[in-house]
Amino acid sequence: MTRFSARLAATVMGLLCVGGFLGVSRAWAQTPADGCVSCHAALPQPELSGPATAFRTDVHSERGFRCVDCHGGDPTTQDKARAKDPARGYRGKPTGQQIVTTCARCHSDAAVMRKFAPALRIDQAAEYATSVHGMRLASGDRKVATCATCHQAHGVRRVKDARAPVFPTNVATLCASCHANAEHMKGYTLSGGAAIPTNQHAEYQKSVHFNALTKQNDLSAPTCNDCHGNHGATPPGVGAVSNVCGTCHAVFATKFATSAHSQIFERACVECHSNHAVLAASDELIGTSKDALCFTCHEGADDAGFVAAGRMRASIEKLKTSLAANNELIARARNAGMEVGTEELALNEARTKLVLARTEVHAFDPASLDAVVAEGTKILSGVEQGGNRALSELAFRRRGLFISLGAILLFVVALALKVRSLGKAAADAAPR
Amino acid sequence: MARIIDWVDERLDLSDIRHFIAEKGVPIHTQKIWYYLGGMTLFLFLVQIASGILLLLYYRPSADEAYESVQFIVTQVEFGWLIRNIHSWSANLLILAVVAHLFSVFFLKAYRKPRELTWITGVLLLFVMLGFGFSGYLLPWNELAFFATKVGTGIAGAVPLIGDALMRFLRGGDDVTGATLSRFYALHIAILPAVTTLLVAVHLLFVQRQGMSVPIPIAQRMKRGERFRQMPFFPDYILRDVLLWYVAIALLAALAAFYPWELGRKADAFAPVPPGIRPEWYFLAMFHTLKLLPSHIFGIEGEVVGVVGFGLAALGLLLVPFLDRRAARDEPSPLFTALGIGGLVYFVALTIIGHLAS
Amino acid sequence: MPARFDRRGCLDSLLGAGFVSTLVAMAYPVWRFLIPPASGEPVTQSVVAAQASQVKPNSGMLFKFGSRPGLLVRTQEGELQAFNAVCTHLDCTVQYKADTSQIWCACHNGLYDLSGNVVSGPPPRPLERLVVNQRGEDVVVSRA
Repeated sequence: MTRFSARLAATVMGLLCVGGFLGVSRAWAQTPADGCVSCHAALPQPELSGPATAFRTDVHSERGFRCVDCHGGDPTTQDKARAKDPARGYRGKPTGQQIVTTCARCHSDAAVMRKFAPALRIDQAAEYATSVHGMRLASGDRKVATCATCHQAHGVRRVKDARAPVFPTNVATLCASCHANAEHMKGYTLSGGAAIPTNQHAEYQKSVHFNALTKQNDLSAPTCNDCHGNHGATPPGVGAVSNVCGTCHAVFATKFATSAHSQIFERACVECHSNHAVLAASDELIGTSKDALCFTCHEGADDAGFVAAGRMRASIEKLKTSLAANNELIARARNAGMEVGTEELALNEARTKLVLARTEVHAFDPASLDAVVAEGTKILSGVEQGGNRALSELAFRRRGLFISLGAILLFVVALALKVRSLGKAAADAAPR
Repeated sequence: MARIIDWVDERLDLSDIRHFIAEKGVPIHTQKIWYYLGGMTLFLFLVQIASGILLLLYYRPSADEAYESVQFIVTQVEFGWLIRNIHSWSANLLILAVVAHLFSVFFLKAYRKPRELTWITGVLLLFVMLGFGFSGYLLPWNELAFFATKVGTGIAGAVPLIGDALMRFLRGGDDVTGATLSRFYALHIAILPAVTTLLVAVHLLFVQRQGMSVPIPIAQRMKRGERFRQMPFFPDYILRDVLLWYVAIALLAALAAFYPWELGRKADAFAPVPPGIRPEWYFLAMFHTLKLLPSHIFGIEGEVVGVVGFGLAALGLLLVPFLDRRAARDEPSPLFTALGIGGLVYFVALTIIGHLAS
Repeated sequence: MPARFDRRGCLDSLLGAGFVSTLVAMAYPVWRFLIPPASGEPVTQSVVAAQASQVKPNSGMLFKFGSRPGLLVRTQEGELQAFNAVCTHLDCTVQYKADTSQIWCACHNGLYDLSGNVVSGPPPRPLERLVVNQRGEDVVVSRA
């Protein structure tokens, strides 16, 4: 070996040693923190690298949890066989019921949850077991939703995070990912034997609830879980619908409960207002015309219900007409410059009565409805008086003006006569 | 009454004034009816000052409160509706009188030598009155006024070279805001009244010094030695003037009661422009002309051409006494009469067409 | 000539009377205009809602604020609060419920607490709060 080649070999060896030392020490420094992530993140297959990348933004990762806390194994080694050795606790990818047990290991443990998120509930797994999803899963159906389906296994976000699939505005789309998929829902039936429909999401998107939630930013508007339950998701049973709707629409539920209809209609509110496609209600729903809902059961003037429906609709229409007429009267007075503030306030009250009347309809009792409408009518008669008073004040002004106009015109006539007499006097006196 | 005048005379020596009043006369001829228009204009302006000062006691010139204060005047203050409506109606009658006065003076060629400066101050007063109308219209801060001002000041932006600066100056900023209201308020109650006082003083000084102008045929007859009877100003002419002023008061009161001015809705800068927005009738002819002009004329923007055209017309109007050589020599000037008729027809026709188009 | 003279004198006195009466007809409205009206000033920013002694603890009363209703509440502790009494759900007028010390909307059972925040029911937004001040016995409510 020449001196040059010896020196070259030594340099290369030295570099290799340094590089190897640096590399090893780097790997050694990283190993306690990264473990599984450092390997999986570099893998080309998305199903293997995805979870590692997603976990970076996971709420569990924030709290210091790592892959091994759910999957087990040895995070300190780079060697795949040793890392995933079942002897070292490796549990692998949980499937089916295992998913629930994995999550519930912490989330149903009060002591653990108190340490990390004391405000969270710990009964989700128990609730889930009572749900249709939970019961089917227990009997071996792998197609149903589990914790990971809705909350996602990796990259879990808080419910309050607007990007979370379980954030109120995202819930419907999440449920629809299975429930609107005809292929996925094939084979599932309702208790009567009919296939479970897959149009709920489409129907829901027509509803006022969907509109309120997504377009008017009203997060209190209901989505799937508000009526069907969260973890214990089951369609509301017979007799429970009224309570479910009544959670928010309390007054309507109370009034409905007093009516004869509550004894007849099992599906309560849903009977007239539908369950998913809840549209904006209008006065057209009540009455005796063919478009009215009442007509579905009550036909013919010999039917007491038909008569009642007609009476109720007429009552409401009367109030509406009176309200419109008085609105116009007050607008006219205001435009003419009259002070009608008190009457405008009273119109607000009358409008309130109309809203209350529409609530009262749900008792399906013409007498009680007439009572509310009568209150509104009384207020409106006061408004009418005020409005007419304003208009008569206007007329009074015009009459007053006639009088002063008369005085002015009298003066003008006198002045004209004076001018003429002056002219005559000047003509008499002027030299020819 | 006579005793009071004597008391003042002892201290101030009113003999010149007394002599002047006793001697002042108005020539009697077939066209003397037009002489009353000047006095009527002055009277209506005085009505504006009086009603304006009364409104000033309650009006609040801020974008937050202007509308409410006018509403307050009209609904809560006793006879507030009367004062406000008189102010609004008299504004329109005043502009009508100014325009009629202008046209009558024009057709009678009263602008000719030696009355050139009377004419110039008069035309300037016309512009000032239009300024009063434009600035006052915004003050109630209602929807119609807000958008009319937006459109009107936008047109000012079409003036070549200084247009943008002019628009920013008028608006007090880039948009019509409370700053515009403050500016227009200052214009309406201080700046324009001061300018008017000056112009009216000069205008009336000239009229008193030079006496009433007579139509050219009469002037020619006078030159040939014919004498015309004079009506003594006091008491004959002034009583007739007062008579007409009383008729004007009666008309204003009737209009105030039977056709009260609407207040409309409070201005909302973020609301869309209501369709068919247009200015008051006295701007309608100009506005509609701009609407009819094509978008480009010989490569220049149509609006710019229109605005420049109006500017040139205004300049022409000011300089009429110096352009009409024949009238200066007391000779009939049919060309200018024809121009005047053309102008009048154009103004009336475009106003009517503009009104019907909306 | 006596007859002519009488007529002229008559005309003059008629003129004088006419002048004076028209002057009065014009001066009277101006004089009434100058006297400040009872309602004080335009309600843009504030209004006297009530007298302090009228509002008892744990009670509420409606008052007129411009063209809208307002609600003045005195809490159990004696503090005064004022709100725009228009419910944020469907514009019904709210009222004070003394038994639960909450603000209630009769239309659809909306409930607000004494800060105007929604406790339950359909209202999507809290009640608009107004500023309350006391000027002697007057309770003055102004826009925030």
